[in-house]
Amino acid sequence: MTSAIQVTPRGYAGPGVRFGVPFLALVFALVVGAVILRIAGNDPAEAYRTMFDSSLNGWTSITRTLALATPLILTGLAAAVAFQMRVYNIGGEGQLYIGAIAGSWVGLLLPESMSAVVMLSAMIAVGAVAGAAWALLAAIPKAFFNADEIITTLMLNFVALSLMNYLIFGSLSFWRDPKRTVPGGKRLPDSAIMPSLSGRLHIGIIIAVVAAMLLWWLLRRTSWGFQVRTIGDSPRAARYSGMSVRLKTLTVLGMSGALAAIAGVSEVSGVTKGLEPRALATDIGFTGIIIAVVARNNPLGVVPVSVFLAAIATSGSRLQSIGIEVEVVYLLQGLIFLTVTAGEFFVSNRVGLRAERRAEADGGIPPSAELARGVS
Amino acid sequence: MTTEPSRLEVRSLTKSFYGVPAIDSVDFDLRGGEIHGLLGENGAGKSTLCSVLSGLYRPDTGTVSIDGSPVQFRSPHDAAQHGIGMVYQHFRLVDSFTVAQNIVLGLRRGTRPKSIRQAESMVGDLADEYGLHVDPTARIWQLSVGEQQRVEILKQLFRGAQILILDEPTAVLAPQETDRLFEAVSTMVGKGHSVVLVSHKMAETMQYTDRLTVLQRGRNAGTADTANSTPADVAKMMFGDSRAADRREVTTAADVGETVLSLSDVCVTGDSGLAAVTDASFEVRRGQVVGVAGVAGNGQRELQEAIAGLRPIASGSLEVAGTDCTKTGPKGSAKAGLAFVPEDRLGVGLAPGLPLEHNMALKNHDRSPHSRFGVLSSSAIAKTTKRLVEAFDVRGNRRGMRVSLMSGGNLQKAILARELTEGHDVLLAAAPTRGLDMAAAEAVRAHIVDERAAGRGVLVFSEDLDEIIHMSDVVLVMFKGQIVGSFTRESLDVDAVGLLMTGSDPTVVSPSGSSIEIDLTEAPDETLDVATISTAEEATA
Repeated sequence: MTSAIQVTPRGYAGPGVRFGVPFLALVFALVVGAVILRIAGNDPAEAYRTMFDSSLNGWTSITRTLALATPLILTGLAAAVAFQMRVYNIGGEGQLYIGAIAGSWVGLLLPESMSAVVMLSAMIAVGAVAGAAWALLAAIPKAFFNADEIITTLMLNFVALSLMNYLIFGSLSFWRDPKRTVPGGKRLPDSAIMPSLSGRLHIGIIIAVVAAMLLWWLLRRTSWGFQVRTIGDSPRAARYSGMSVRLKTLTVLGMSGALAAIAGVSEVSGVTKGLEPRALATDIGFTGIIIAVVARNNPLGVVPVSVFLAAIATSGSRLQSIGIEVEVVYLLQGLIFLTVTAGEFFVSNRVGLRAERRAEADGGIPPSAELARGVS
Repeated sequence: MTTEPSRLEVRSLTKSFYGVPAIDSVDFDLRGGEIHGLLGENGAGKSTLCSVLSGLYRPDTGTVSIDGSPVQFRSPHDAAQHGIGMVYQHFRLVDSFTVAQNIVLGLRRGTRPKSIRQAESMVGDLADEYGLHVDPTARIWQLSVGEQQRVEILKQLFRGAQILILDEPTAVLAPQETDRLFEAVSTMVGKGHSVVLVSHKMAETMQYTDRLTVLQRGRNAGTADTANSTPADVAKMMFGDSRAADRREVTTAADVGETVLSLSDVCVTGDSGLAAVTDASFEVRRGQVVGVAGVAGNGQRELQEAIAGLRPIASGSLEVAGTDCTKTGPKGSAKAGLAFVPEDRLGVGLAPGLPLEHNMALKNHDRSPHSRFGVLSSSAIAKTTKRLVEAFDVRGNRRGMRVSLMSGGNLQKAILARELTEGHDVLLAAAPTRGLDMAAAEAVRAHIVDERAAGRGVLVFSEDLDEIIHMSDVVLVMFKGQIVGSFTRESLDVDAVGLLMTGSDPTVVSPSGSSIEIDLTEAPDETLDVATISTAEEATA
């Protein structure tokens, strides 16, 4: 009944804990990873050097990592804002496709001669509205009939994917380039392409970081965010204090869909430069869910987590090129991510040896209390 | 009868949680072939005693013996091996499984029937034997609540239970189902089983049990032969009788002023879709504390929620300080001048995972000075928090700490601080001192009494009858969703309140010597509206 290890919630974690724990977790992962690499017959030092060089060492590596992080930040924010209110939008992937479809539609429709500022603004605006509308397909049943948004948003992903595939592979749509033998999207005009900052890195990263800061401000510093956080913590307390849970469900899911859709616009405009289903469907929306969870739904946390995840991803392909088995690479990636994530437990809880013997005196709820609740 | 040996013998059993005894040196005997009623208020220790007997908790001290030999249960399975079976109020059945599947579920190899066919026929035979008719092949979700309860009982009988503990078995049943249940119970008793009937309801306890034991605040307040007891005696055992004296010391109300809360014929529907509150009508005036007594689950929560605007009012009307709030929702009630201290401190009154600052601004975060044009002012919120914390002596908060880590007393003071500093005319407080230690409870009561002195109206709900009587100028009694009695300070009769709370009619069963009067019509200047003795009769009929 009594265990030697005692876990108590911290309540409030200081900066030393918040930054120190992930760092120690990373070190731990690298040590364990070194053992695995050695067993698999590789040189850990060389592997780690390659990982570092290919993702974070030097301007080219950094821009490559940041370019990969750009859409991840946006889908991470999309998930974070919904999760903050405990509305589980699993539909970021589909909302991203819708954003790509709507954004590229505007880019192909408006005259090429238009100024890039107007063109890109219009693409982002229309893409965001389309993504929000797509999310509302799940938000409205949720708000009015309490339909489970996990199911509806997940299912809408498949609808969005099918729609995108149909537009390019299944029909001679407005988006499809009739001149290409292999089906593909029409190339966007230059004014509809996000200007490059350096190499693959385009201005989407600025949009993403500004969005993160804006979202943080909305959640932390406005009465709208106050209500969202209250509902996320306790819907009954929110209702008790007169907040409209229904209205917030609609706005939060709409905003979530819009953010994921902006990721789609950013990809279609800055990376694929036309509606290319194969290149767009790379689980960016789903990865955003993981990012939000690790960042504890904090918009400012989403940025470093996205960059970290992008760094692991970019270094992976280079590791294979130096002869490390792909399975070992995946294992290493998973290990790093897992330990850093698991470190969260040590941030929110204080773990130590039990001083007192009696379980109940420590404030632990007796395990059977839950069962006994039926008796009154 | 009295020479019959005990099946189950409990001696000086004590079980504490967090240092507070839930049951304290309890003695209890159960004879072979008897139905033994176990009564007590909420928190009297009934559930803890049952949980110890069914092997869920291990006692701190004391002994349990079966047929004279001491036993120690390590688990519910262990208790079942010794022939003790518990039927919970909330069933533990798998909805998508059949009756027979549910009954054999969890049986170990050897005791389990060879096939599901065999299980079905065994269950069928058992059901016939005890008159607990239910189709063994039916799936649980197809069954009525009464049938599901039969499955639970069969499950225990199948496991060879000789001692059955039924936890408020009639709480969920319709009257005809109740009759059928007790027919089956008497069959069981006829076959030598012993039954412990946990109940709040006086009528069924008096009607069906052979003996009864009353728990009060974790102690055995007495065991008696039912035939030799009157409801009035039992109510006295349940609620005590010392309280009439000390309530007189409370300062009398300031001048009673205009009406600040008025309900007329309010009907409210519960979560199950059935009526939870029927025709509630009463008023609360300035300078007056109105207390609502009642055993939990008699519609109090639904009535509170309706007054606070959290639950729609099906019919009737509600006014808060002269404003019609029948359909205006939580914001409307608050705006009209209602302060509400809800039953659930964490989860309703406070958002548990957020810091104190956030919770202190919960209701007025969107107004100046806490926000302007939708932008929050952290400094204004911090300032308000500091002021409230100092004024109400809220302790144990650290910056940024989630409120759920604070103690119950401080949480309640924090809610009071927030609710009582906004402009309001009437305070609605639900179970305001539940779970608090003595000092914190006293502080909370002092704040409530201050409200009266300040010329505001107070409506307080509590399961603690002492508290109600101690604070209130007017006492209302709620039973089965109705106001079944109302008493002024002068007319208050504690015994009658206790009887009404358990659904008995005090004018019918009068204890020898003392006459009971319920003074409803005699105080025309008082605020009470309805609550006549006839409603009490209807409720018990």
